[in-house]
Amino acid sequence: MKISTKSIYGLEALVDLAIHSSDGPVSLKSISERCKLSEMYILQIFLVLRRGGIVNSIRGAQGGYKFARDIAKITIADVLDVLEGSLALVDCIVDNTKHPCDKYENCTTRHLWEKIAKSFYELTESITIFDLVECYYLSSFKDCEIEYYI
Amino acid sequence: MKISTKGRYGLRAMIDLAVYSKDNQVTLSSIAQRQGISISYLEQVFSILRKSNLVRSIKGAQGGYVLNHKPEEIKVGKILRVLEGELSVIDLNKISNNESKIQVCIREKVWEKMNDRLNELIDNMTLEDLAKNYRKNNGLIQIMYYI
Repeated sequence: MKISTKSIYGLEALVDLAIHSSDGPVSLKSISERCKLSEMYILQIFLVLRRGGIVNSIRGAQGGYKFARDIAKITIADVLDVLEGSLALVDCIVDNTKHPCDKYENCTTRHLWEKIAKSFYELTESITIFDLVECYYLSSFKDCEIEYYI
Repeated sequence: MKISTKGRYGLRAMIDLAVYSKDNQVTLSSIAQRQGISISYLEQVFSILRKSNLVRSIKGAQGGYVLNHKPEEIKVGKILRVLEGELSVIDLNKISNNESKIQVCIREKVWEKMNDRLNELIDNMTLEDLAKNYRKNNGLIQIMYYI
């Protein structure tokens, strides 16, 4: 029960975008170089992110991508919803009409999977891209050597 | 990120065993019939469950399986780990030695927290909890009304 690599790399690329967004739109080329991923792969991910309303693309010479809204308002749940589809561990709790299961009504284990998916959702709803950027800067800060003068 | 059929069906089979094996052994064919799981698949699953000492087989004409511990002593987490391996939303073997700062942040703030939630939930739930739900869902509890 693994998160797809699309979500893992997508999230990494988004945090990279957030860190480098102060001077305007960021090129996918620069993101792919910093994250050490192929530009084609990043492009596929960003097309999905754009369709999902997470980022916008700016055309032209100084073009690239930027976030569609304030990163403090973009939750990990939003991102995973777009890239992962759903955090459900079984199909029947997403859409029971696709592969109807005759046990759906009385299913005991379905409630367990729903509980887990709900817990994942609550957690990821409470973390934003901003939180991850903050973590990044805090960890960079820890690397600085602090000199004390008496 | 779906749970495998082994985990899903294995858990259903264990619940079935918890509910139907009070003092007698339960045959795989009866589990197969009640739960809609193929016998050959159950055999694969039970071979794992038996090797992990979660179930015991009773041989012979009246043969079958019984739980090796009381259902209230078996954590759901234990069952799922035996069937699925270490439960993690990311592949723990694929974490590189040269993680970037961004990767570390995401791992610590997102993936590991998700794993904590998952493990907390399934380690605080016992097979008996699920068996109780099963009995309730399937009308196996007789409710007596007194006037």
